[in-house]
Amino acid sequence: MLLAASTGEDLLRAVLQGAPPGSVYALIALGFVLTYKTSGVFNLAFGAQAYVSAAMYFQARNEWEWQVVPALILAVFILAPLIGLVLERLIFRHLSNSSAVAKLVIAIGLTVALPSLFELVTGFSAVAGRTPTGIIPGGSSVFYDPFGIYPLSRDELAQMAVALFGMAALGALFRFSSLGLALRAVVESPRMTELSGINADRVSAFAWALSSLFAGMAGVLIAPRFNTLMAPDFFHLVIVAIAAAAIGRLASLPRALLGGLGLGIFIALFNTFLPRWTADHGWLRPFQENLTPSMPFVILFGVLVCWPAIRREHRVVDPLSGVDPPPPGLAALTRNRRLTLITRVFSVSLLCVIGVTVLLRADVRWLFLVTQAVILAIIYLSITVVTGFAGQISLCQGAFAAVGAFTVFQLADRYDLSVLAAALVGAALAAVVGAVLSLPVLRLGGVWLAIATLAFAFFFDAVMVKFSWIGGGGTSLFQGTRVPRPTIGPWDFADDRLFLVLAVVAFTVVSFLVIQLREGTTGRMLHALRGSEMAAESIGISPVRARVTAFAVSAAIAGFGGALLAIHQENVNYQNNFSPTAALFWLVLVVSLSARTIEGAAYSGAAFSLFDSLVLRGEVFRWIFRGWVPGILPISPKWRFVLFGLASIQFSRHPEGLVEYGKRRATRRFNERFDRRERDRASQETSP
Amino acid sequence: MNVLLDAVGITKSFSGIRALDDVTLRVVEGERVGLIGPNGAGKTTLFNCILGTLRPDSGSVILNGVDLGSLPVHRRARMGMGRTFQRIELFSDTSVAEHLLIAERVRQGNGALWKDLLGRGRPTSDEIRRCAEVLDLLGLTDLAEEPIETLSLGQGRLVEVGRALVTGPRLLLLDEPSSGLDRAETDALAATLAEIQREKGFAVLLVEHDVELVAAFTDRTYVLDFGRLIANGPTKEMMADADVRRAYLGDLEVGR
Amino acid sequence: MSPVLELRGVSASYGPFRALFGVSLTVEAGGSLALLGSNGAGKTTVARVASGLVVPTSGSVLVDGEDLTGARPHQYARAGVAHAPEGRSVFATLTVAENLRLSFRRTHGASGLSCALDRAYDLFPQLGNRRSQMAGTLSGGEQRMLSMARVLVNPPKLLIADEPSLGLAPIIIDEVYQSLRAIREAGTAVLIVEQQVGHALQLCDRTAVLGHGAVEWEGPADEATDVMVGQMFTTGEDG
Repeated sequence: MLLAASTGEDLLRAVLQGAPPGSVYALIALGFVLTYKTSGVFNLAFGAQAYVSAAMYFQARNEWEWQVVPALILAVFILAPLIGLVLERLIFRHLSNSSAVAKLVIAIGLTVALPSLFELVTGFSAVAGRTPTGIIPGGSSVFYDPFGIYPLSRDELAQMAVALFGMAALGALFRFSSLGLALRAVVESPRMTELSGINADRVSAFAWALSSLFAGMAGVLIAPRFNTLMAPDFFHLVIVAIAAAAIGRLASLPRALLGGLGLGIFIALFNTFLPRWTADHGWLRPFQENLTPSMPFVILFGVLVCWPAIRREHRVVDPLSGVDPPPPGLAALTRNRRLTLITRVFSVSLLCVIGVTVLLRADVRWLFLVTQAVILAIIYLSITVVTGFAGQISLCQGAFAAVGAFTVFQLADRYDLSVLAAALVGAALAAVVGAVLSLPVLRLGGVWLAIATLAFAFFFDAVMVKFSWIGGGGTSLFQGTRVPRPTIGPWDFADDRLFLVLAVVAFTVVSFLVIQLREGTTGRMLHALRGSEMAAESIGISPVRARVTAFAVSAAIAGFGGALLAIHQENVNYQNNFSPTAALFWLVLVVSLSARTIEGAAYSGAAFSLFDSLVLRGEVFRWIFRGWVPGILPISPKWRFVLFGLASIQFSRHPEGLVEYGKRRATRRFNERFDRRERDRASQETSP
Repeated sequence: MNVLLDAVGITKSFSGIRALDDVTLRVVEGERVGLIGPNGAGKTTLFNCILGTLRPDSGSVILNGVDLGSLPVHRRARMGMGRTFQRIELFSDTSVAEHLLIAERVRQGNGALWKDLLGRGRPTSDEIRRCAEVLDLLGLTDLAEEPIETLSLGQGRLVEVGRALVTGPRLLLLDEPSSGLDRAETDALAATLAEIQREKGFAVLLVEHDVELVAAFTDRTYVLDFGRLIANGPTKEMMADADVRRAYLGDLEVGR
Repeated sequence: MSPVLELRGVSASYGPFRALFGVSLTVEAGGSLALLGSNGAGKTTVARVASGLVVPTSGSVLVDGEDLTGARPHQYARAGVAHAPEGRSVFATLTVAENLRLSFRRTHGASGLSCALDRAYDLFPQLGNRRSQMAGTLSGGEQRMLSMARVLVNPPKLLIADEPSLGLAPIIIDEVYQSLRAIREAGTAVLIVEQQVGHALQLCDRTAVLGHGAVEWEGPADEATDVMVGQMFTTGEDG
């Protein structure tokens, strides 16, 4: 009897505890579904938008010491919708014909760029431990305890009230206003709405402003929960919201609301009851500690994989969808042998010069950066395989790389295995993980595949890394995950110069294998699948087999590269190197530059590692102009995120990447000029 | 005569609406068969059921005596079903020859990963020769190295045909090959197709709205209307059949 | 008086896929044109060009004498072109009344809405009984009627009906055409895209026959029958 009463009490407590964060999840989920339905954009950047509003509010309240109301108006009612409108007008309106994957890539780019851009513009920087204030005075210090079970803070009450109000307002808008009617119509078919004389663009711009307002509101509401305002936390938030929205199949607003609330309560229940079970069953303890923070990712992954119906429910089929022209294809590439030869000779000799200069003249810092660039380029080749060749967006390359790195750490630490052999084992292990993961995930395809891999990356981050047989457990907290440098015969790779040579050799070998893959059967099959899956199947190509191969190979490359990175830094450095948000930036970088070519990976490695020192700090100018650096330099390294994040916007028009696009354009111009000269000569000969 | 394709009692509904109702269609080896019907008659649905992109609610598709059941599209392709597409489907960013070469490689089923990594995945001289033969047959030899983005629609259709031919099909399914082509281009395509078919001897199932092309190209025709087979027989008879005319022309009094 | 719709040498394509090759057509104010031809001939594309859904690659589109080439579909709609697309072109998740309300524009006066709805229900009595039903749950014929009623809420100058008979049982087709006749008699110009040749010919004065993206024949409706039979069923040898 007593037990039953206390169980009931616990249930209620969990509900009370879970409802406030749940209502914030619900707010973002509402905005997310609204955008997805009106414009087909899977807007991962909502996290970034929520962060921007939260930071703006914090800045106004804590730094400028504004009152609540003006700060709220600025952060939520002006800035948030404005960002939404700008994104819609400048970017997403022009993408209505682009594939969902292209839109997703751009949203990821914005996720990377927006927070840094905001921080650069406003000079905002997070101060550890300075808790943002809520929208209610005394929000976190005044409590109400109506049931005598769980005291709800004012902040929490405000969160629930705002979420309920938001839902009610949205419901009223949809039901009673003509704008709401137009919104519902646009969701179903923008073209048909236009035939009714309504400007669908304007309606969808409104939807963007509205959903961005929801994101901003959610950001401000949830901010007091965090110790420090950090963009990655808000990115977490959007993943949770996607899980909530996925429960509602991304189609229904009320279900998204319930999904958000339910998820919040479910997590709270989990937190309440699991500790009790672990008291009796000790083996559950690591799960309790690790699983709780990753619940949303587990649920999201589970929903995606176990509920395949979700991917069929993309959007209500627009009866007029056939009207829009297909997205433009790639610029045709007519190869010019002479030009290819010239560029090859030129780039090889340039590389040799750089290599010799670095080996002879570079100091420790530059050696470190260049080696890191080369090793990152190896990891980026894994993106070349899975995204460039197979056309799939994988957001868990960081996890694959970490598998390799941790394998080296564990094998060297426990069995004293040679690190290079361990790196190969790590690559093989990563390949197995990649293949096993790809089997359920590949059926999803497109955007859902990307989201499922993201969920996996976060799951790996939150759960797997914490296990001592992977991440080293408690000891690694004090000693770090130490990895030794190898020695082969007379060569001791503890020497940084020698290690750079090793890295370059490794990069060359992996590049060679990747080229073989591209020119071989697998690569050509993947190319065909990317061009037209239907046509590829019609000649007997099995899409699943080809893509599983691509995933496994890609994971192996990432694992190998990750292992090398750990060996180079003599430490795994998981948080710095392989966290899911770091891996997001990798993807943005590689697809912006060129996901299809070896040099794209090399440039991306250089961009990640060297761009900051070379350009943003102006070192390259110092060398060229003998000490002179333009006055605006050095500038913040955050520009890296802004520049490359925004560069991903061109992905929809040039999926081949900036480097490849530039090359193609140059080739075309060269060909045209060449042709013209030939023609001129020919005409001169005919007319004396 | 050997029955090559036997689609028996195919029924398919979409959200309660019967798109196909107990349709049976047979293609004999080497035969040229047309499938016509007004818009929305269920031609495409039947086509997709045969190819495996859709699974029929009931009925079975038998190819050369083997029930295809729930085999995926690519397995059916390897069993000898080639096809072309109404909205042309080519592999972007490749040349004409590359289209055929990959098809040839898949036909041989010779694509292990380790061979790629050892650099043995590139086209062999044997493959190149075989593909050149097909290109020659289609009159595409001059375009072999062209990127497909520069081709005209008619040439693109021919590349699709060539790509299917390389897989050595026993049955070629042509999905509205005349769509998007003008009269002259359609005639040229029909002539090329007829010639190749005569040479290679595969069977053809032609889904087409251009009745003229069907009349010129096929021996036998099935006519669908409202998801039901309303007639089938020699093409010439079908063109004169009163039911068929009514299906196409509605209540127009024929021969008024 | 300028024609309500004029296409001058319109070519159109979907990406690389060319659908129309220099089509010129005219619909007089209050007139009627039946656009016939086998499927794939480009009829639907003509309808889409005439309502702004597809922007022609060359040529121009004039509505009421005004050049609207390149304008957006909602601008065409506001200029008086009502397009009822083929298929079940209603908003399935909105009710019948909401479908109608959506199209209504305030310029006709705030009180005009109920008048307009009443007019629609007069024209299509079945819809009146199902005002608050989700459009997606209507029968095929009712959906077709709703899709026409929807674009007729603001009295248009031209109604474009794309395959109004597609997929309907003969008796329902009769009803749809009765409604079309009523619309035409009220003075609205109509452009009917059809495969069911008979009904369209009875309704319209003029006929254009499309083949392979070009106008192959144009003339009075009563001469069209033989042309149609000829066009669709010339066999290879006696053609």
